[in-house]
Amino acid sequence: MMNKKILNKIYFIIFFSIILILLNGCGKKLPEDRPIGVKNIVLLNQDSSKVIFPDSFKGKTLLLCFIYTNCPDICPMTTHNMQLIQEQLKKENINNVQFAEMSFDPQRDTPSILKTFGDIRNIDYSNFTFLTGKSSDIKSILNNMNILALPGDTTKTESGTPVYFFTHTDRITLIDKDGKIRNEYRGSKADIQAVVNDIKILGD
Amino acid sequence: MIFLLSVLTILNFNSPKMEIDSAWVRPAAKGMNSALYFDLRNNTSNTDTLIKVSSPVAELVQVHETLNKNGLMEMKEVKSLGVHKNQIIKFAPGGYHVMLIKLKKDLKAGAKVGFVFYFKKAGKIKVTAVVKSY
Ligand SMILES: [Cu+2]
Repeated sequence: MMNKKILNKIYFIIFFSIILILLNGCGKKLPEDRPIGVKNIVLLNQDSSKVIFPDSFKGKTLLLCFIYTNCPDICPMTTHNMQLIQEQLKKENINNVQFAEMSFDPQRDTPSILKTFGDIRNIDYSNFTFLTGKSSDIKSILNNMNILALPGDTTKTESGTPVYFFTHTDRITLIDKDGKIRNEYRGSKADIQAVVNDIKILGD
Repeated sequence: MIFLLSVLTILNFNSPKMEIDSAWVRPAAKGMNSALYFDLRNNTSNTDTLIKVSSPVAELVQVHETLNKNGLMEMKEVKSLGVHKNQIIKFAPGGYHVMLIKLKKDLKAGAKVGFVFYFKKAGKIKVTAVVKSY
């Protein structure tokens, strides 16, 4: 009698554990778990409102990518991927995720330029923000997050406008609610469903 | 004689050409940059060279290639591009593109943009591209 009760309890515990593991995304783990390495940095969004990085995003999953708006090819691809991920999450009713695109060209990418870049792409700003800031602050974030952005040679247009481009890291970074880096992707070539799955592993 | 002339005329009209298909442009605001993508197909019986592309919508138009150098994305100008006979070169995101620098007006989704391509042998070819939403 007694033995059967204990056995039932053991079965129940095993069954319950399996359910828990399944709920946890089949026990999959994300490859990274390291701090961003910066705190309390004052940045500006596309409306010139202050955003404290990364503190303002704590408590939410953050998908952060790095761009400059003069980029005609790679950064628009990355931005489009961010939009596709945002749409997919909406379809699957996954909330509590924030999207951010940080410029590594703060000298040219002022808040209003970032807004123009977003508006022409019909960005849904409900949980999507652009970030710029003081050059020294941006530099310290880039250094800590291993993002390289090297300006190239300057040429001039007929009207004398200087033109230069960056050689840069192509990156989308997944950051969890506690502000830790959990995964990194090629921004322009990111696999939309893989990123969505990783976000699911992090949960609400 | 008239028959021969008309045959020659038909042959001339149907002579294989340099083809530019599926041309599209990224949306971008006035003062910013965009890119043109397309399929370039050399249907002639000779190798030809793309020398330049022009458009009234940008201050500067250049042929570029995006390169991935150990994870760093870099753009280089391509001064001239050889196209072998029967070769198809895809100008696609992350690779070759025609760069539109300092736009003179907004390029919004659905708008049309005119271009002129200049080839060494085939000469001028006019192309109209549509602006996509991304
Ligand atoms: Cu380019």
